[in-house]
Amino acid sequence: MSASAKPYGILARYDTAADIFEAALKVRDAGYRKWDVYTPFPIHGMDEAMGLEKSKVGYFTFVGGFTGFTTGMTMIWYMNKFDYGLVVGGKPLFTPLFAFPVSYELTILLSAFATLGGMLLLNRLPKLYNPLFSSEIFKRASNDRFFICIEAADPKYAEARALLEASGASAIELVED
Amino acid sequence: MNFSPLFKRIFALLACVGLVSFGALRLAAADHAEPAAAAAHAAAPAHEAAHADHGDAGHDAHAAGGHAHKPAIEVTFVSQFLYSYLTAYMFCLSIVVGAMFLVILHHLFDASWSVPIRRVNEQIACLMPVMGLLCLPIIILAPQIYPWMNIDPATDHALDVKKVLFNRTSFTVLLVVIFGLWSFMALNFRRWSVAQDKDGAAKWTSKARFQAAWGIFAFAITLTLVVFLLMKSLMHQFFSTMYGVYYFAGSVWTTLATVYGIVFWLKSRELKGVIYTHTMHFIGTLFFAFTVFYAYIHFSQYFLIWNAAIPEETFWYVKREVGSWWQVGLLILFGHFFVPFLILLRIDTKLNPLVMGPMILWAWLMHYTDMTFNVMPVLYPEGLHVTLLDPICWVALSAVLALAFWKNFKSAAPFPLKDPRLKEALTHHEVPAPGAAAAHH
Repeated sequence: MSASAKPYGILARYDTAADIFEAALKVRDAGYRKWDVYTPFPIHGMDEAMGLEKSKVGYFTFVGGFTGFTTGMTMIWYMNKFDYGLVVGGKPLFTPLFAFPVSYELTILLSAFATLGGMLLLNRLPKLYNPLFSSEIFKRASNDRFFICIEAADPKYAEARALLEASGASAIELVED
Repeated sequence: MNFSPLFKRIFALLACVGLVSFGALRLAAADHAEPAAAAAHAAAPAHEAAHADHGDAGHDAHAAGGHAHKPAIEVTFVSQFLYSYLTAYMFCLSIVVGAMFLVILHHLFDASWSVPIRRVNEQIACLMPVMGLLCLPIIILAPQIYPWMNIDPATDHALDVKKVLFNRTSFTVLLVVIFGLWSFMALNFRRWSVAQDKDGAAKWTSKARFQAAWGIFAFAITLTLVVFLLMKSLMHQFFSTMYGVYYFAGSVWTTLATVYGIVFWLKSRELKGVIYTHTMHFIGTLFFAFTVFYAYIHFSQYFLIWNAAIPEETFWYVKREVGSWWQVGLLILFGHFFVPFLILLRIDTKLNPLVMGPMILWAWLMHYTDMTFNVMPVLYPEGLHVTLLDPICWVALSAVLALAFWKNFKSAAPFPLKDPRLKEALTHHEVPAPGAAAAHH
């Protein structure tokens, strides 16, 4: 940690889920935008406590599902009626009825793909490195401690240390980029 | 009764398997149309004979549907009343059996979120004895409703092969026994739940869970039987092993709409403080899930019949494409599935009373339309025919049940006061809105 290194953010450690929940409410209400919470397990209500908006993944899902459905319909129409008309079981060359099961399965398949892809995209994953990995105390984030990190890029970063100190943190550390 | 934890776990596992197979087995069974095909070959001549016996020329009907009979039930005031009554009855029965299913489901999954709304479900399910009483007119006047009751099985092959189930004795005995069993189950659930209000003992939960474990099997089989007897037998030639689960899917859908409405209404009254946003969200999510499940089941029934193209099965839908029944079918396709699907897709609409209020009314109307689509073409083959008796029966039966529900509901605590899982349901974090954090502790 050289003194010339640019700060990435300020990291606060909390010992209980209740502590970090209360702290998250304070950070949210102080108007911070570039910050995150790191916990070993999901905490009920944390999304609201952090003031997170509704996830946008649903739009990816919808587009994926819609694409899947239209792909199924047009694929069967193209193959069975347009490109090479084939009578099967005395049924019409094309009807949405027999194209439905395939379209339905494609809807689910592409929805799932789009959901996974959208989630990775919105989270900017996969990401091989995060400056927080250099912090020693942060290692327990995957075990039994709870962390809030306010990034230096946040416009209100100057007041961040004071806020976190008053929020019941058990340790505070500067993390460098 | 004392059972070891392992035994209980096995039962819970079996129950879950039962729940899944309730849908899956039916679907698989409907796939194997061979026995039906065999019956179809044998049935054709017998039908011709039946036509002749009844002096039914049926020329036009033959051209339209292949299998069409003239309405075997004359349109009179009595038959009109009975059909309106049956439609309204099937609608109301949906909500009562649906509520019992929700109670069973709660215990099977050992859920905590639904503890605060369980008493509402228990009380709706306890309308079962009332439904049993209201079924008496149908049982007594059955020959004026069900055409097969007036046909000699010796002249009708389709009836002959099903006479084990479709005879007056089986019809009466099964309905009486099943309504007895359902009432027994529903009253047990409530009795144990209310007993727990006093002492908070976990044994009441265990008893309910044990009943839910065997009950889910009993429920699946008996509900199918009741729907076969009361509704499917209106056209006794019809084959569809998934008819029971089709009624079930629409029923639970309607029940969830109703429960959403009741809970929303009570959350600022009797249920004040125990209903959270996420409770409404979960009911709405289940409502959405059953919108899809109903469409899946009804499409599967239609698609398998369409694909196999066996007259003994297709006639049922062919008759429902005659005249305005075709439009009613389209209304069910779009109104029962497509529109609710798009409306309920978003989280915010599931929580918005301005959307959900009309949605609940719409769900009731759509389920009633679905029941009409199942029942009424027997009396009015030429198209939809609404008389004043339809709304009268619908409103009257609903009003009787609503009053009975309210009387039941006032007789006990509005939610399970000492359920072991209640604390879990109530300690769920309600997060203060921005700015309100200081007041929160």
